[in-house]
Amino acid sequence: MGNPAVNRTGAAGQTATEHRLANGLRLVLSEDHLTPVAAVCIWYDVGSRHEIAGRTGLAHLFEHLMFQGSAQVKGNGHFELVQGAGGSLNGTTSFERTNYFETMPAHQLELALWLEADRMGTLLAALDDESLDNQRDVVKNERRQRYDNVPYGTAFERLIALAYPEGHPYHHTPIGSMADLDAATLADARAFFRANYAPNNAVLAIVGDIDPRQTLEWADKYFGSIPAHDGKMPLRNAELPDIIGTEIRQVIRENVPARALMAAYRLPEDGTRECDAADLAVTVLGNGMSSRLYNRLVRHDRTAIAADFGLMRLAGAPSLGWMDVKASGGTGVPQIEAAVNEELARFSADGPSPEELERAQAQLEREWLDRFSTVAGRADELCRYSVLFGDPQLAFSAMSRVLDITAAEVKAVAAARLRPDNRAVLVYEPTGSPEPAAAGQDGARQ
Amino acid sequence: MTDADVTMDLHPMPAAGQARDWAFPAPERGGLPTGLPVLRCQRPGQQLVAVEICLDAPLDAEPDGLDGIATIMVRALAQGTAQHSAEEFAAELERCGATLQASADFLGARVSLEVPASRLHRALGLLTEALAEPAFATTEIERLVGNRLDAIPIELANPGQRAAIQLAHELFPESARMSRPRQGTAETVARIDAAAVRAFYEAQLRPVTATAVVVGDLSEIDLDAMLAGTLGRWATETGAPALVPPVTARDDGRVVIVDRPGAVQTQMLIGRLGPDRHDPVWPALVLGTYCLGGTLTSRLDRVLREEKGYTYGVRAGTQVLHSPAPDDGIGEALLAISGSVDTASTSPALDDLRTVLRTLAADGLTDAERDMAVQNLVLVAPLRYETAAPVADTLADQVQQHLPDDFQAQLYGRLGETSTAEATAAVVTAWPENRMITILVGDAAQIRGPVEDLGIGPVSVVAA
Repeated sequence: MGNPAVNRTGAAGQTATEHRLANGLRLVLSEDHLTPVAAVCIWYDVGSRHEIAGRTGLAHLFEHLMFQGSAQVKGNGHFELVQGAGGSLNGTTSFERTNYFETMPAHQLELALWLEADRMGTLLAALDDESLDNQRDVVKNERRQRYDNVPYGTAFERLIALAYPEGHPYHHTPIGSMADLDAATLADARAFFRANYAPNNAVLAIVGDIDPRQTLEWADKYFGSIPAHDGKMPLRNAELPDIIGTEIRQVIRENVPARALMAAYRLPEDGTRECDAADLAVTVLGNGMSSRLYNRLVRHDRTAIAADFGLMRLAGAPSLGWMDVKASGGTGVPQIEAAVNEELARFSADGPSPEELERAQAQLEREWLDRFSTVAGRADELCRYSVLFGDPQLAFSAMSRVLDITAAEVKAVAAARLRPDNRAVLVYEPTGSPEPAAAGQDGARQ
Repeated sequence: MTDADVTMDLHPMPAAGQARDWAFPAPERGGLPTGLPVLRCQRPGQQLVAVEICLDAPLDAEPDGLDGIATIMVRALAQGTAQHSAEEFAAELERCGATLQASADFLGARVSLEVPASRLHRALGLLTEALAEPAFATTEIERLVGNRLDAIPIELANPGQRAAIQLAHELFPESARMSRPRQGTAETVARIDAAAVRAFYEAQLRPVTATAVVVGDLSEIDLDAMLAGTLGRWATETGAPALVPPVTARDDGRVVIVDRPGAVQTQMLIGRLGPDRHDPVWPALVLGTYCLGGTLTSRLDRVLREEKGYTYGVRAGTQVLHSPAPDDGIGEALLAISGSVDTASTSPALDDLRTVLRTLAADGLTDAERDMAVQNLVLVAPLRYETAAPVADTLADQVQQHLPDDFQAQLYGRLGETSTAEATAAVVTAWPENRMITILVGDAAQIRGPVEDLGIGPVSVVAA
């Protein structure tokens, strides 16, 4: 058992109540009167894993269309009204869900509910080719800015495609391909809305300085008459063996500033003790400035400028462990890879030391405190546990579960999963770079 | 709209409820016997405590030829002390669940700590070691220098960072520290060694010219006792604060293309010099800048993003670079417009951007725009300052800019008193369309001709 920084009986007194409207919309309310703000967060149970071949990126493009107006909200009115009320807002799309959020001064909560209800119920009344074409161009520029025009920008997309096989629902990332974005039609967008944007396919969390009775009344008033509907396509099978089975390898020759060694490991699904153990394992190995890979590669060998290992939790498919090492000077990838393999093998054999486990738990606890310190962060976590695991209360106990993991469990998951035959390796070789120095940390720097 | 698309009961837009009172937190100012001023601020329920240490080590204090030493020095504070090796120090911090970040800039250096309140004492002990007895071991300084040399090409490959470096070079005279990269060049960083780092530390870091800011739920903490046993042990001889010279900037309209053959987008960065927060025009400038490019419903994105689809987003902003105490002259801020557009849209986007500025100068802002900006900027404050870290950051900014502790608290009232005409005048004065320096990081072979045809000043091309 870890050494918690905060007394966690009920996560510092935080609680949530659950409700369901007649149309199937699930509500989660949590009071917190410290600051006069209220967060509204809505998760639709649709993400890029629901997309079909030839229409990748549609869930995310659609998320943009949700800000283009609805029956009673003209043009950019959603943004204007929220910002004019002193709120902040956005939406994001991942593999497993699409979320929308408005964090408002508490006295403007009703406005946010009205806005979310209007687009959940009436988006198609405003959706047209003009907004589709405009947002298609915006999304293509988002793709260029975040992925195509920056060094290593497409690494994540490549690793995902290697770790989840062709045809698997997680084989492509939410941003989608340029060709598929070009191909999306208004009919696609309308069909996507009808299939997925139903009250019975969503969870609405409201957290902050709220009056729960009044809030429930408003939720029922604005969302209650939106008809339930079932048009959702069944999810394609996402089952995969625990282990990839053989090391997959891709070498990219590109105009990047430094060599890089990246790897994606298939790790246990979110919602399991093994996933929490894997989170601790990658934290000990590559999160922070006292991790094993940082100490070995950056401090001791000085073969790397950065060495990170992180976990992307996934509930509907194996989670992804993502290792990212950028080489220092002229160091070659084989030298780095040998050291990484050595560290991972040693860790799998011995597991974490008590001090390492304590540090990893303290770091994950701080990250959790950080997410829970805002009403928006809490609302998002309540939605997450509702949509992915059917129980928002699990959000409050998430940290105790991580603190409950033992060194033996961390060692077991490392031994089972952090193996060469369970990874997809991506190597970047800069174009025009000289041959790596034969050996030694000082090979390239004079 | 078809009736088939509306199958729910429609209700009129609701009116706002009764707003609840909120004020920017007022810090309590005190000090330690060593001369270290302390600002503290109680924020109920905030279990992550934020500590900011403002250090009087501005980049202008760096010795000639050693650009980047301020950054290396503040980073080296956490790389080993008299009591802990670098590795042990990192491990001890992480055992607290703490993060420690260090940076150096034109206004001074900052060390930022975040830690759960229950472990604040331990973390403050480590922070004190870092400030009072850093080891500056030769091997650690060599490693930081090597790390920095490796990082430079990676930063230059990032279009946004490359554009910022070029803008500084074009805007400021060569003699000004501001014309050169904050963290130095390969040439200057390579010269930095442990002796120089220690000398810079001894010359610049003193409790009397520093300030500590502590924000969070301190209700169960005896902060005075805690500080006396930790930061109170950091003592040095007294010394005068660093003097930072004022800076001037060019404003001859011109375009510099940083050539990146094959780039699918052009990174735009347009810059000018403006006033600092001491200037009475500041609230008007904040409002005008928001209306021009604060969000996706501001004038620039309304055209460039939401009408034309040229970009994922263009923003206008300000960054204070020099902010002396009111008796020591006036300060300066960088005014910037930045965003990425697809390569083919580079010239059309610049043309539209200038049309937006011209229209703004001719017709001014509308009262509705001004009202919306005031409401957003003022009403968003409780949300923006919900947690401890942003409060600590703003208080530390005020300290480093020689502003009164209630500057931000007063700013909200001043925004409300600023008229549409004042906001218009401020933003139009800030952005005269023919006196802007434009940096474009992109494919020169494709964008140079069309940009020259715009006639917005001479266009030159430099290598990436």
